[in-house]
Amino acid sequence: MGKQLAFHVDLSGCIGCKACQIACQDKNNLEAGRAWRRVAEVVGGHWVPSAGQWHSDMFAYYVSTACMHCEKPICCEVCPTQAMAKRPDGIVLVDQEKCIGCRYCQWACPYGAPQFDAARGKMTKCTFCEDLLAQKQSPACVAACVMRVLEFGELEELRARHGTLRAIEPLPEANLTNPSVVVTPHRHARVSGNGAGLDVTIDQRGAQ
Amino acid sequence: MNVREWALVAFTICAQMSVGAFVVLGVIHWFAARKAGPDEADRLADRALLAIGPTLVLGMAASLLHLGNPFNGYLAVANLGSSWLSREIVCGVLFAGAGAVFAFLQWSKRASARVRNATGLVAAAVGLALVFSMGQVYLLRTVPVWNTVATPLMFFVTTFLLGSLAIGAAFVANYRYLQRRDPGSLDVQAGLLRGSLRWIAIVSIVLLGVEFVVLPMRVAYLAAGAAPASQSAAMFVGQFGFLLVLRLVLVFAGAGILGVFVYQNASSAGRERVMGNLTYAAFMLVLIGELLGRFLFYATYVRVGV
Repeated sequence: MGKQLAFHVDLSGCIGCKACQIACQDKNNLEAGRAWRRVAEVVGGHWVPSAGQWHSDMFAYYVSTACMHCEKPICCEVCPTQAMAKRPDGIVLVDQEKCIGCRYCQWACPYGAPQFDAARGKMTKCTFCEDLLAQKQSPACVAACVMRVLEFGELEELRARHGTLRAIEPLPEANLTNPSVVVTPHRHARVSGNGAGLDVTIDQRGAQ
Repeated sequence: MNVREWALVAFTICAQMSVGAFVVLGVIHWFAARKAGPDEADRLADRALLAIGPTLVLGMAASLLHLGNPFNGYLAVANLGSSWLSREIVCGVLFAGAGAVFAFLQWSKRASARVRNATGLVAAAVGLALVFSMGQVYLLRTVPVWNTVATPLMFFVTTFLLGSLAIGAAFVANYRYLQRRDPGSLDVQAGLLRGSLRWIAIVSIVLLGVEFVVLPMRVAYLAAGAAPASQSAAMFVGQFGFLLVLRLVLVFAGAGILGVFVYQNASSAGRERVMGNLTYAAFMLVLIGELLGRFLFYATYVRVGV
């Protein structure tokens, strides 16, 4: 099995501060509306009766999500130009010279990773901060995480340390694209496919 | 998310209409040649053939407007191995090329009838491959509203419904042109026109029936599914409910009601004027209805995930 870079996010410690999202936008010069890393706020629960009383079982948790640099990337599959391609280290990148801005990848990706740069008419996405990696630095989102719950590394190493869970709501089922991510769940997190009744908000200001 | 893709609405409708028109024209020409000889068949069909090319070119030009970088559009054929979008574009270009060669040969009568027929058959096959690949483009496992057999099925219904009515309208226009400009006898042409329009009316009514079975089944199937399929279904009956009903009414009025009148008027001689106007009206109503339907196809897009 080849190399595959991946993110691990420990949702049991994520406080939803969105420093990762802002650091990403800052480092990559993204205008309002483009956010390669985004934080989904998930809210559920309601008033339930028990022993003649009503009590609230409401809960909330956060899911920090970016490009999953999937092992079966649907974006690369559908891209008509091969601009969207997977590198030997597993990072999925858009070749800006080849991209024609058809946005087919954006239709297809279940993680909302490809995001359109309307000013240049090209698709853009999380680059895993490959420029920082080349300088032996961490991706901006990982470096900015105040709770230290976001990390990156080789997928197999992350799995060995944290397990193989990766499909929790509101993320899609893993069999769609085989995402390279490891998730440590929040205690209230629901497995993908059991999202009924959950209220999901993704604050991506000015998103199209 | 809003995917209100007017450029793609125009492209898919124009491309499908040109494929349908090309195939229908070929079939009618074949029957007309057997019935009335090749010269009368050419007189019926050749001018209609000329309208197909511009329609296709218009659609393909519209598809470029969808791109962020239209000038790099030629790069879109680089992933034939896995992208149906690449395959769609190759089929589109090949159909345009084969169709243009056929139109040139047929118009100038440069080659033998056998060669022309063979070219026409190749172009028709490539055209049908184009409609097939257009359907495959939308079979994304992450977009449940598109990922059903209804997508390619409805594309083919649109292809032949719009294609046959467009050819009907083109025949009427051709007949009126001949009335004004051609001193020769029009008795044979009037007969061919009536016969063609009768069959076009029948095909339209049958395809209308298919559409009225598939569309409710599609919405019901989506409504019974989990989110986001059910979200798309809710859009069909909720915010876009009026447009859905309007689209069905337009197609029913055009292909159904006017289709019956066209058939009736085409069944007896001497009513070419009424029959022609009815055909024009039917084509316009169905065209608007199908454009609305394609708008809804994109507007009800909801994707799995975040």
